[in-house]
Amino acid sequence: MILIGIALILLAILGAPLFAIIAAGALIGFAGSDIDLMVVPMEIFRVSEIPVLIAIPLFTFAGYLLGESQAPRRLVRMTNVLLGWMPGGLAVVALFVCALFTAFTGASGVTIVAMGALLYPAIASAGYREKFNLGLITTSGSLGLLFAPSLPLILYGIIAGQSVDDLFVAGILPGLLMLLLLSLYCFREGGFVHSRVKRQPFDRRELAAALRESIWEIPLPIIVLGGVYSGFFAVSEAAAVTVVYVFIVEVLIYRDIPLRRLPGVMRDSMVLVGGILIILGVSLASTNYMIDQQVPMRLFEWVTSHISSKLSFLILLNLFLLMLGMMLDIFSALVIVVPLILPIAAGYGIDPIHLGMIFLANMQIGYCTPPVGMNLFIASYRFDKPIILLYRAALPFLAILLLTVLIITYWPWLSLVLVR
Amino acid sequence: MEQTERSLVSRLLRLTVLAEDALLVLILAAMIGLAATQIILRNLFDGAILWADPMLRVSVLWVGMIGAMVATRIDKQISVDAVSRFLPTHLKARVRVATDVFTAFVSGVVAWSALRLVLDDRAAGGTAVAFVPVWACEVILPVAFGVIALRYFLFAIKHMKLSVAEEDVL
Repeated sequence: MILIGIALILLAILGAPLFAIIAAGALIGFAGSDIDLMVVPMEIFRVSEIPVLIAIPLFTFAGYLLGESQAPRRLVRMTNVLLGWMPGGLAVVALFVCALFTAFTGASGVTIVAMGALLYPAIASAGYREKFNLGLITTSGSLGLLFAPSLPLILYGIIAGQSVDDLFVAGILPGLLMLLLLSLYCFREGGFVHSRVKRQPFDRRELAAALRESIWEIPLPIIVLGGVYSGFFAVSEAAAVTVVYVFIVEVLIYRDIPLRRLPGVMRDSMVLVGGILIILGVSLASTNYMIDQQVPMRLFEWVTSHISSKLSFLILLNLFLLMLGMMLDIFSALVIVVPLILPIAAGYGIDPIHLGMIFLANMQIGYCTPPVGMNLFIASYRFDKPIILLYRAALPFLAILLLTVLIITYWPWLSLVLVR
Repeated sequence: MEQTERSLVSRLLRLTVLAEDALLVLILAAMIGLAATQIILRNLFDGAILWADPMLRVSVLWVGMIGAMVATRIDKQISVDAVSRFLPTHLKARVRVATDVFTAFVSGVVAWSALRLVLDDRAAGGTAVAFVPVWACEVILPVAFGVIALRYFLFAIKHMKLSVAEEDVL
């Protein structure tokens, strides 16, 4: 059994698709226990029995539509009028814009590709250091994971059996903390370190023009977040409303996306959904097997016999999740690891909602951690810079994010005060 | 003989490509329409289409599985990309042959089990959504995993040819 496990891990590291690795684990496990293998497709079929899951294709498509439209450009203009006058203003603009965009598109590299193309040249021409610029864009690519309606938040809710509405609310303060600390670093960079950085004076006419231009997009976050936070919409309803609204605004009103491009955008977005759902499906089977074999229970006993305090458990959890975030993308990490650590964490008295915040915040850092964080490669490819330069550029931002993760981990109040 | 077989396979694959793309677009559009209608009915008229919610849930499975078929087609399944990125080119193709064969085999076993499930449920009867029988909802599973298995098998052949060609160069 251990040999099979090692072989599977080796195959995964060599690049075999994760759904096949997980499916193989489940098949071998069930075959070893003399259970009919039909149980595996039966478990995959359970994908069609989870109501909240409808939100995933709908939000993903809405996010792709936004990414294909001129919304990123309008968003940058709007935020720049509002925040650009501050020291380091443009850098702060990048943070807020990326966070909002990632919340709607999921952390799949779309943010770096779509927003980076706009922000990187703008930040460079305003006189910021290149290293600062690259680090900012790279780390901002996964900022916003904690804000509704990000897919990882929804997926965590589904897997952990927690209310997605609660998770949406719980993410607000930890997410804002990240933005705040990173903004302080941007103030320092723009205001004190490099005083030659250009600032844009506040311009009332530009504000009016920007407002007029994005008048149709401004209500979107209010409809989605307001609808969900106030309890007016269920999450899946909010997803449907979002997709219809985004379609009407971007395709019919702004006409940013011609109708003939629509099928292509639909297809591309569903490829991402397919990649996630097939992993979710097979992991329902593997999780079923592991629970059948009482793996979480045994893991829990083993962990508690070695780690006595909640504090040392949390430290180890942080280290483990950081490593995991480097190796696995967030969706696979969620479906594979959450079922295992959830009962252990509960044993140490950690609230499942709080665990979700810890999990996602760590994963977010893993995206930009050398040597194999995904954002680093996307940025290196997108801006045609050597990967080593990106490693160094990301470091100060990583240090700040790490600080936030520690605060989120050891101060549960931040994640729970709005929920419990 | 072999020639006609191959052209039949390639024609079938091309047909699958068309069907996949069309189905993805149609199902997603239908989901959006149905979900929106449901919200309007619920909030404005205090009514609802009874079969809409189960239908939407099954659509998620279908759109997901077809999306996964397309993800395989364009070789974009999610994987750990930590080590293979740093492998020298001449090893890359050989490693790919191994992972492709493995994936094809696993997907094949899932497809076969899914086919048995569909046949069993067909014999047993039972409806999932209002008028649609359970087996018809499940039928996407053997189809999707079957096509995925076939595609990885073809990938394996392609990468085997590549690695042989590279050896000739060396």
